[in-house]
Amino acid sequence: MFNTSLPLLRRSPVLIIAAKEIKDSFRNRWISFISLIFIILSFSVTFAGSAITGTLAFPELNNLITSLSTIAVFIIPLAAILLSYDAFVGEDESGTLLLLLSYPLTRSQIILGKLIGHGSVMLLSSSIAFGGTGVLLVLLGEDYGAIETMLVFTQFILSSFLLALTFILIGYLVSLRATEKARAVGSLLFVWFLFVLLYDLLLLAVLVADLSFMNQTVINLLIALNPTDLYRAVNIMAIGAQGGLSLFSETSWALEGLYCSMFVWICVLMVIANHLFRRKPL
Amino acid sequence: MENNAVCVNEVTHHFGDFTALKQMSFAVKQGQTMALLGHNGAGKSTLIKIILGLIKPDIGEVSLMGGANEGSSSMSSQGVPVRLGYLPENVSFYDKLTGEEILHYFAALKGVSKAKVATLIEEFGLDYAKDRQLKTYSKGMKQRLGFAQAILSEPDILLLDEPTVGLDPHASQFLYSKIAALKQTGCAVIVCTHELSLIEPHIDTAMIVAKGERLALGSLAQLRALSGLKIQLKCEGLADLAEKEPLLSRLYRHDALYFDREQQDQVVRCLTSQYGKFGFSIMEPGLAEIYRHFMAESESSHQALALTPSLNAQSKTSLKARLFSPFFGMKNV
Repeated sequence: MFNTSLPLLRRSPVLIIAAKEIKDSFRNRWISFISLIFIILSFSVTFAGSAITGTLAFPELNNLITSLSTIAVFIIPLAAILLSYDAFVGEDESGTLLLLLSYPLTRSQIILGKLIGHGSVMLLSSSIAFGGTGVLLVLLGEDYGAIETMLVFTQFILSSFLLALTFILIGYLVSLRATEKARAVGSLLFVWFLFVLLYDLLLLAVLVADLSFMNQTVINLLIALNPTDLYRAVNIMAIGAQGGLSLFSETSWALEGLYCSMFVWICVLMVIANHLFRRKPL
Repeated sequence: MENNAVCVNEVTHHFGDFTALKQMSFAVKQGQTMALLGHNGAGKSTLIKIILGLIKPDIGEVSLMGGANEGSSSMSSQGVPVRLGYLPENVSFYDKLTGEEILHYFAALKGVSKAKVATLIEEFGLDYAKDRQLKTYSKGMKQRLGFAQAILSEPDILLLDEPTVGLDPHASQFLYSKIAALKQTGCAVIVCTHELSLIEPHIDTAMIVAKGERLALGSLAQLRALSGLKIQLKCEGLADLAEKEPLLSRLYRHDALYFDREQQDQVVRCLTSQYGKFGFSIMEPGLAEIYRHFMAESESSHQALALTPSLNAQSKTSLKARLFSPFFGMKNV
């Protein structure tokens, strides 16, 4: 059965498009570039994070994941939108989108193929950087259990992957609507600013103002409305951390609920992307 | 009718208030090449997209190989999938991939074997550059690659949008020789181009469109007749002969004789037997002249319509019909 399904898989248009996107990302050094940024980020936080306290020591796993997720929440969406902003507007400008549509392919296959390709690039980069950090911690640190550490990092990589997929799809939506690449980048940087910086600032302001309608349900809803907040909440809940980000740890949802919310984001964005692609004027 | 590869019937399409195509009808038989000619914005690209099934026309229908047009998943009247080949205008493939990788990518999407890709690369003289990234390719090499992409699946219908733009004469000749070879296999070819003199020797029919409307359709001979453009004859001492001979005098203008095809024998006989003139050149109107003629006619008809705002719709239609009738051209010249 395996022998017969493998050639079929190889002929799947979705996988052909995905493979091309991965090859493209290798060629234009996207994978090296993103991996390098993630490695620098991860290693700095892990091995030099304690420098601000005047000592050099390995951090506790919980604190490390909290710090990593706090910084990754800025970098991962940025990398994802820079990877995906020209997925459609770029192909449209170069004439290959029209050509692809003249091939025996559906629009859903094109979107899915690109998503798998770009998602794989982000997953590979995250795995190299964060997985590598986990391995180094186990090898160099004395207080880290191998299985526990790798489970924590696997969870962190998985949530980072879901966050990346969300922002890749947001990139597709803008790319499908934009008429030129420059406009797509501009719009996406604004979206990034909105989700990553402004939303949290407004959320904190509303919480500090202690408005009467702010109960746990409203807080949960507000967190669910922003994929970056969901990401933070997932990571804090996974390690059971408390402290500065207690807003997210206090959410009454279980970890599975938060993961489900991230999946819902991905599914909804996928449906919207398909809808936009079908209605895209050619 | 049976061997029509493409049949476009009364197709009308709007983009909002703008009418991109108006009651467009034509057919291209298997093994024929049709030139689709028109100014920028005439509706050529919309027509190509409709044939490709990327746009559904508001009115009218398109059939491919006798079956309904479902784009890339169209089936012929015999229930066989229709193979479409397409080369968009100014297509720019993926710069970081090599020529071979690009062809493999498109071949895989069409289910074409790697062996076929290797054959095409060799046939198109790209063997030496197949491992180089596309960004190192010249315009001609890119266009050859694009053309190889279009014929990967040995198409039944091939649509080429400005295939020779920016190519040197040798490369253009190579491309048309490939089209000729494809025609032999029964492939119907539609070429959108502005390079009229280049395509002229290679077409079976041509359709001239302007502002979404068909101005003329037919073989070169039919278009010549339809346009009413005259045959031109030039030879030394023509001015003197025209003074002596009433027949030549009637046809003499701007140091040449202009006459219809039916008069050609009479004129040649007069020159050779009566005046012993054997050194002359005869030039039939070329595609470029025919195109200019119909375009000018279309322009003047639109101006005439614009200048007569009091005309009602019916009289406007009849005026247009007169302007575009084959007899109008004959009288006009």
